[in-house]
Amino acid sequence: MKGTAMLRSSRVRPYAITGGRTIARMPLLLETLVSVPDYDLMVHQMLVAESRDIYALCRSVQSIAEISAALDMPLGVVRVLVSDLADDGRLRIHPTAVHAGVPEHMLLERVLRGLQTIKH
Amino acid sequence: MSRKILIVGAGQSGLQLAHGLLQHGYQVTLMSARTADEIRGGRVMSTQAMFDAALQHERDLGLNFWEDEGPHFDGLGFSLAGPDGSLALDWAGRLNAFAQSVDQRVKMAGWLEALEQRGGRVIIHGVTVSDLDRLVNRYDLTIVAAGKGELVQLFGRDPSHSPYAAPQRALSVVYVHGLGPRPERGDLATVNFNLVPGVGELFIMPALTTTGPCDILFFEGIPDGPLDRFTGIRSPEEHLRLTLELMERYVPWEYARAHNVELTDWGGTLAGRYAPVVRNPVGPLPSGGAVLGMADVVVANDPITGQGSNNAAKCAAIYLERILAHGDRPYDQAFMQEVFGHFWDYAQYPTTWTNAMLQPPPPHIVQVLGAAAGHQQIADRFANGFNDPRDFFSWFMDPGKAASYLESVVGAAV
Repeated sequence: MKGTAMLRSSRVRPYAITGGRTIARMPLLLETLVSVPDYDLMVHQMLVAESRDIYALCRSVQSIAEISAALDMPLGVVRVLVSDLADDGRLRIHPTAVHAGVPEHMLLERVLRGLQTIKH
Repeated sequence: MSRKILIVGAGQSGLQLAHGLLQHGYQVTLMSARTADEIRGGRVMSTQAMFDAALQHERDLGLNFWEDEGPHFDGLGFSLAGPDGSLALDWAGRLNAFAQSVDQRVKMAGWLEALEQRGGRVIIHGVTVSDLDRLVNRYDLTIVAAGKGELVQLFGRDPSHSPYAAPQRALSVVYVHGLGPRPERGDLATVNFNLVPGVGELFIMPALTTTGPCDILFFEGIPDGPLDRFTGIRSPEEHLRLTLELMERYVPWEYARAHNVELTDWGGTLAGRYAPVVRNPVGPLPSGGAVLGMADVVVANDPITGQGSNNAAKCAAIYLERILAHGDRPYDQAFMQEVFGHFWDYAQYPTTWTNAMLQPPPPHIVQVLGAAAGHQQIADRFANGFNDPRDFFSWFMDPGKAASYLESVVGAAV
């Protein structure tokens, strides 16, 4: 029974249009790092309040968890605003250690620090 | 500048509406608690049998990706267990157009990926009330389509439309490969509705899952009765074993074709229960904003009539139409009430019918189900009511109307 179930795996295409390939962006994990590569005062002044705070903070590299803690902003709001800033080319999402396959001690430490200060 | 709409929830209604709005030039952000891969590799969520009217809404948006790949069914079989456990009644009605069940793990994962490819913004996050409170002002309209999380608590229960305070059935679902045919059905592929009075119901339907075509065995057990045994079952193998044991005991005519079944995958089982409920469509937020609920967030019926995904598809189509018709006017609370009103104009019928089907069948319904065995046209009308339950209110739901309908059919046949 188990053998035949194994053989059947993945017979169904995810969906027909692209044969299952996807360009979906990786989800923003707590440890995902983001930064503003080219800080621009004009952009800063143009942004609405909460996006502006993230834009300013990310002049130095931040994790999603750190942004949430530093700005006392719910995680869902951080994820939406970071995603919007990235789509507009204002902010860069770094490939995470997990996705890049590179474990990184510093990263784990800063995630831990972010988690310890996060508020719900 | 195009209007910005936030949709929370990546199920049938949320994703269908997101695709519809995107195609009409709206700027759509959809928040899903899980990635497409997590949905695809997770547990089954539903039985999701969809009939023609609901499937048509998917075709209208070009979302019928699996229509050719997945098995169709063209009829509804009905079997009634007699007091001695034998098969007392058995017949099948023919649907005017085929129905289909595509595992939501396949469908929602695919629709989520397609949404992002087509230009929608997808955020992976399990949304909380405090998230919504801070996000709602950034969007012209925020819609909650996540019927299973904490957000449903934003929408108050409407007691006038919620006759039940407690779950009316204990639910158990198993996806299997290797189920044989019901010989009595011949070439007609059917969803089978087995009614065991006082015990519950067993529905069996063909479906498409992550490992290909399969069948779903779905028990609706009366709480604390002999089918209410799935709470605390840990392994999927044990879940299947118990399902087969109960089939052998209560619906042996279905067990006869189940000797070679096997689980589709480790995530192919589901058990649970919930009280059917209708909620207020406007969810107030602490800071004064408001969000609009849709589909099972606001109308959660028992799955006994298989209407959940059909209602979700119809709700998404109605919300899309009303949002488009609203033009540039603000999406205020009056608009939210009005949109839900349009959905409720329809949903009151499946809701009333579904709540009635949870009760022991009254004499006039027993008569109808009996007469259907001898009159194909009655069986067919019953089957097609699952596609549009409003028709049941012209005959099935009312003793007087049922009597005159039966008389017209039986009288004409003499």
